[in-house]
Amino acid sequence: MINIRQLEFHYQIGGFRLSIPEFSVERGERLAVIGPSGSGKTTLLNLIAGIIIPERGTIGVNNVKVGELNDAGRRDFRITHIGFVFQDFELLDYLSILDNILHPYRISGALTLNKKVHAHAAALAQEMGIGDKLTRRPNDLSQGEKQRAAICRALLPQPKLILADEATGNLDPDNKTLILDLLFRAVEDYNTTLLTVTHDHELLKRFDRVVDFKDFRL
Amino acid sequence: MERGKMGPKRQLWVLYIAIVLGILPCSSHAGAKVTGKLSVYVVNYPLKYFAERVGGEHVRVVFPGPADEDPADWVPDIKVIADYQKADLILLNGAGYARWVNRVSLPRSKMVNTSAKFKDQYIRTKGAVTHSHGSGGEHAHEDAAFTTWMDFNLAAKQARAIAVAYGRKRSTLKNTFEKKIIELEKDLFALDRNIKVLVSNNQSQPLIASHPVYDYFARRYGLNIKNVHWEPDQVLTDQLWMELQKILKTHAAKWMIWEGDPIQESIAKLKSVGINSLVFNPCANVPQKGDFLSVMQKNVKNLAVAFE
Amino acid sequence: MLDSLYIAWKYISFNKLKTTTLVACIALISFLPMALQLLLDESERQLMSRAAVTPLVIGAKGSSLDLVMNTLYFGDEVPELISMASVERVENMDLAMPIPLYVRFGTRGNPIVGTTPDYFEFRGLIVAAGRQMALLGDCVLGAKVAEILDLKPGDSLVSSPENLFDLAGIYPLKMKVAGVLAKSHTTDDLAVFVDIKTAWVIQGLGHGHQDVTRLKDPTLIYKSSESNVAATAKLYHYTEITKDNIDTFHFHGNLGQYPITAVIAVPYDEKSGTILRGRYLSKQETRQIVKPREVIDGLLQDIFRIKNVLDAVISVVALATALAIILVFALSLRLRQREIQTIFKLGCSRLTIVRLLLSEIFITVLISGVFCGAMIFTVNQYANEIVRMLFIR
Repeated sequence: MINIRQLEFHYQIGGFRLSIPEFSVERGERLAVIGPSGSGKTTLLNLIAGIIIPERGTIGVNNVKVGELNDAGRRDFRITHIGFVFQDFELLDYLSILDNILHPYRISGALTLNKKVHAHAAALAQEMGIGDKLTRRPNDLSQGEKQRAAICRALLPQPKLILADEATGNLDPDNKTLILDLLFRAVEDYNTTLLTVTHDHELLKRFDRVVDFKDFRL
Repeated sequence: MERGKMGPKRQLWVLYIAIVLGILPCSSHAGAKVTGKLSVYVVNYPLKYFAERVGGEHVRVVFPGPADEDPADWVPDIKVIADYQKADLILLNGAGYARWVNRVSLPRSKMVNTSAKFKDQYIRTKGAVTHSHGSGGEHAHEDAAFTTWMDFNLAAKQARAIAVAYGRKRSTLKNTFEKKIIELEKDLFALDRNIKVLVSNNQSQPLIASHPVYDYFARRYGLNIKNVHWEPDQVLTDQLWMELQKILKTHAAKWMIWEGDPIQESIAKLKSVGINSLVFNPCANVPQKGDFLSVMQKNVKNLAVAFE
Repeated sequence: MLDSLYIAWKYISFNKLKTTTLVACIALISFLPMALQLLLDESERQLMSRAAVTPLVIGAKGSSLDLVMNTLYFGDEVPELISMASVERVENMDLAMPIPLYVRFGTRGNPIVGTTPDYFEFRGLIVAAGRQMALLGDCVLGAKVAEILDLKPGDSLVSSPENLFDLAGIYPLKMKVAGVLAKSHTTDDLAVFVDIKTAWVIQGLGHGHQDVTRLKDPTLIYKSSESNVAATAKLYHYTEITKDNIDTFHFHGNLGQYPITAVIAVPYDEKSGTILRGRYLSKQETRQIVKPREVIDGLLQDIFRIKNVLDAVISVVALATALAIILVFALSLRLRQREIQTIFKLGCSRLTIVRLLLSEIFITVLISGVFCGAMIFTVNQYANEIVRMLFIR
C-alpha cells in the first residue's frame, strides 16, 4: 500500500530533517507509529498524504508516486484515497454532524455529492452509533461521538488508506478502545489500510505492526 | 349580399355613429372655448337687464331667484350656489344687496361689484339700529340702502361696470360691448333727464313711500320722501295708520308712492285723508310684462301725475 | 459554487452576532447616503414643483422663506399678517388675479386654509366626494386628511384653539365637511380648506348670535342708544353654523381690513407679472412680492450645501466602517486558520478556500443589500411625510 524509498525531507525553518531509507505498509495492515514528540510522525503522515513533498526519494501510495503529482493531483488523490482522523477531531462547529461528514464532498470537485452519498453517510453514522445525532452540531456531542463523526467523514469517500494522527489522544480509556475498535472494523469492512500515530502504548498490542520513529530522524 | 360586406343601411349607421362620436367631444369642448357664450349670474333683475343689453348674443344671463320673492330677501340653496360658482361672471349689486353673498363661498375672480366705483355714494339707512360688542367694539354695518339702480345715473355706471367686466373676459368683443353700453346709457340717461324735467315743477312737495326703496331715487331727483313700511297687497293695520298720521303732522304729503299695485282698501283709506296713490315699481324682480326700461318708462308716466 | 455558498451560509447563520453587526454596519453605511439623496430629491421635487406653478406671492415684508413655506406648504410658521386691502390693490391694478390665503388655524394637527374657490381652480383640485364649499362654515378636506381622520361629507370637524389658554380669543368652530378632494399628491392633500370668511369666523371677527335689538336679558346689554346696542361678553356666540342660524352671522368693521397671511398673484401674462413686481419695489413699501421659485431655489442651495458637508462626513464614516469591516474579516480569518489548515489537509484547494471566504462576504453583502433596499423602500414610501416633517412643519 505504502512504499517509501530513500526519503529525505527537511523544514526550512527550525532545521528539522527526516530521513527514511525504506518504509512500507502492506494493504490491509494496521500499523502504529510511535516516537517522541517532534520526531516527525506527523511530518511522515503529511508526506504520505502529499501535503508536503520530499526533497529526495519516492513515496508510493497505492502504486501512485505521490511526490510526482502536481498540487491539484495530490489534492485529488488525497481526498479520494486517504481519510484523515485528527486528535482534535477538527469538526466544524457551524456545520451539523451530517454536513461535517459530507464536508469533503463539498470542498472538492473530485468527489460528487448525490443522494447515494447522503444515504451512505447516514448508514455510516448509524454504524458508528451516531445515527440519531446527524442534525446536531459538534458542541452537542461527547468527545467519543465527535471522533466517531470524524471517522465517518474519513471513511465516507471509501479511502484506501486511513491516516489517524493521535486519534485516541483526547479520549477517555473507554472511548479509546471504542474508537480503535471502529477503526479496525473499518479496515476489515472497507478493505482499507490503517496507519496510526499514537503515544498510547497500551493500545500497541492490538496493532499488526509497530514502528518506532526514532530510527528515522537524522 | 355577400358575406363580409356591409349593407348600405349598416354603412349609414356606422357613418352616423362615427359623426356623432366625432362631434360630441368637439361640442363639449366648444362650450369651454374662449369664444363661447359667457355664463353670467346676477343677483337681481335690473342687473339681468343691463347684462343682457350689454352682452347681447354673447352672454347667457341667469337670475335664478323665484319670480314671487324680493331678490333682496332671497337666499339661494346649495345647488344654486354651486351654479353661481360655475359661472364665468357673478354680477353683484353692492351696497349690501343680497346679504347671502357674505355667507357663501364664491370665486372672487368672477365677482363684479357693479357699484364699487361709487361706494362713497352709498346711502346709510337712517333709523336703523346697529350693534357692537363691548365698550369699544366696531359696529356691524349692514345698513346701507341698496336700490342703487333707482338713480339712473348710478344705474348707467353699474351697466358700464358690466361692460368693462365683459371686455376683460372677451377682449375681442370690446367694441361690440362698447356699442351696446352706449345704447343702454342713452336709454338710462333719457330716463334720468325725463324725471329731472318732470319733478322740476314741484320738486319739494312732500311724498310718502310705501317702503324705503326710493333713497337713491329721492337723492338723485331731489325729492322729499318719507318712508313707511306698507305692503301693497296687505290690509293696513291701525298701528301702520297711526304711524302715517304721525308723519303727516310734519310732512303733509298728497301722494303715496307704491312699489306695487295696492289693494283698493288702502287706496280708498289714503284718499279719505287726501292722499293719492301712484305706483313706481323698483322692478327688482322680473316684471310680468315688458322689461326694465318699459317698466321705468311707465313709472315715469305714473310719477308725472303727481307733478302736474 | 453552490457548495461554497451553502457552507458560507452555514457559517454566517451560526455566527449570528458577528453577522448581524457586519450586516448592520454595511447596511447603514450604504443606506445613509442613498436615503439622504432620496430625501433631497424628494424635497427638491416637492418644494420646487409647487413653487414652479405658483407665480407670485405677496405678503408682509420680512422672511420670504416663512411667507413661501406658509403659503405654499402651509407651514407652522405664520408670517406677519396683511389685510384684504392687499387683495383689492392687486385687483385694482388689473395685472393679476389675486387669491387670498389665511393659513393660521388648525384642526386636529392639520392646517386650516382660508381661501376662495379660485384657489381650487388655480391648483386644479377636484372634489372627489361631496361638493365644493358653498356656505359659511363648510370645509373641504384634502384626500389625506379625510383618510387619516376618517371623515366623509356630512361629518363635522372642530377647529383647534390657537393655544390652550386662549379663553377669550379664537374659539373652536364646528365646521361641516362639505366635500373631500381627490388626491393631488401635493401639500393640498394634508389641508382643510374653508372659505376665507369662515376663517374669520374662527378668529372671532365674524360671528352669529341672537338679535341684540330683541334681547330680554338685561345682563346681555352693555349699552343701548337709539342708533346702536352694545352687547356684553355674556352674549352667546354660536359655535356652529347651521341653516337656522346662518342668517345671524355677520362681520364687524371693514372687511377690507380683515387679516390674511398672503396673496397668491396669478399674472395675466408675463409682462403683467413683471409690471406687478415693479409696483412693489419702492422703499416705503410695506409689502413684499416674491417668486416662490427663487425662494425655494435659495433654500435648496442651502440644503445642498449642507448635504455636501454631510456627504463628506458620511464618506469619512464610511471609510472608517470599511476599515473596521476589513479588520473584522482579517481577524476572523486568523481565528479560522486551523479550520483552513484542516480542510486543506482534507484536500481542499486554495482557490476553493478563497471561494468559501468570498462567498461569506458575498452573502453578508447581499443580506446588507436586502436590508438597505428595504430601508430605502420604506424611506421612499414615506419620503413625502419625512420631507414635510424635516423642512416644512
